Amino acid sequence: MIINIYLLSIAFSVIFLLIVVELVRKNKLSEKYSLLWILFGFAILILSISPVFIEKISALIDIKYAPSVLFVFGLLFLIVYSLQITIVLSKQSKRIIRLTQEITLIKGKIEEDRLRNSKNKVISKEEQADNEAV
Amino acid sequence: MSDMSAMDGQNIKILVIVPAFNEEKSISKVIRSLYESGHNVDMVVVDDGSYDNTSKVAEKNGVKVLKLPYNLGIGGAVQTGYLYAKENNYDIAIQLDGDGQHDPAYIGDLIAPLLSGRADMVIGSRYVKKTGYTSKLSRRIGMLFFSGLITLLTGNPIKDTTSGFRAVNRNILEYFADNYPEVDVLVRLHKKKFKVMEIPVEMKERQGGTSSITPLRSVYYMIKVSIVLLINSIRSGALS
Repeated sequence: MIINIYLLSIAFSVIFLLIVVELVRKNKLSEKYSLLWILFGFAILILSISPVFIEKISALIDIKYAPSVLFVFGLLFLIVYSLQITIVLSKQSKRIIRLTQEITLIKGKIEEDRLRNSKNKVISKEEQADNEAV
Repeated sequence: MSDMSAMDGQNIKILVIVPAFNEEKSISKVIRSLYESGHNVDMVVVDDGSYDNTSKVAEKNGVKVLKLPYNLGIGGAVQTGYLYAKENNYDIAIQLDGDGQHDPAYIGDLIAPLLSGRADMVIGSRYVKKTGYTSKLSRRIGMLFFSGLITLLTGNPIKDTTSGFRAVNRNILEYFADNYPEVDVLVRLHKKKFKVMEIPVEMKERQGGTSSITPLRSVYYMIKVSIVLLINSIRSGALS
């Protein structure tokens, strides 16, 4: 049974790494964020290949049930990465708001110019009509 | 003193910023009452991505409209107005809600302390002295709580901390254009050594449309503000 789960993990890590590489290749994931996921994929791969590694770590930090090490570090990784994502998100939402405001101002300016131009046209037409009348 | 006389003159440019979200029923009234108040001011309506005809109604009334493509929320909308004021070299900007609860007749009172240099920001307050405005008990408790918190943090006994009826001078206008602190305005301005004062105004019931305030949002808002204020006071404590 134990062979199965380790084989599964190895298969999963390999597929995961392939997906990440493919996403980067298709420009769906920026290189900047791919690095962490590639490292993560390799970490899982290494842990899957040599279960001894996990057992050593669990013995080192006094965890009786070795797979718990995976849960602890997996959870920590996810928490830290979500925090990182919300930091990026905050920065981007700030930028989007500023961009929206700038575009709104530019559109307002264009509309103003358009109105002024059409008014000027009306005035110059009236002048023309006056001149013709004279 | 030559500066002061320039400030008193007609060449001082004042902009009234009116944030409006789905206010087609009340926006005409707001615009007309501003015209009728007879103040020599320009006006810009910031349509915060309304689904109704707020922009069209405002434009029909001959007012400059800045139409945001989607709803940014009150802070983002008002800041658009401050950006406009900054770029068009206004000396004073006044915030006036599009729902009609703020009376433009008070604009003179609001800008007087700015013109004389006694304040950098003037808040039109419901609670400075007895006015016609009555509000629910829950809301009053919230107000009292914030007022106490702000007084504690800034030493300035501001009573109506959430009033959207206020006037600012060029310095604060520029500051707001670059970073508009939605939640902790008063604390930030205090740290920047700006002078903030409150004057009494009468507020009316909203003239149409629906309020965005619900009990759940109020609770959320209270928690948000408290946390932000707390974090900021920790930060300032660490720095000083």
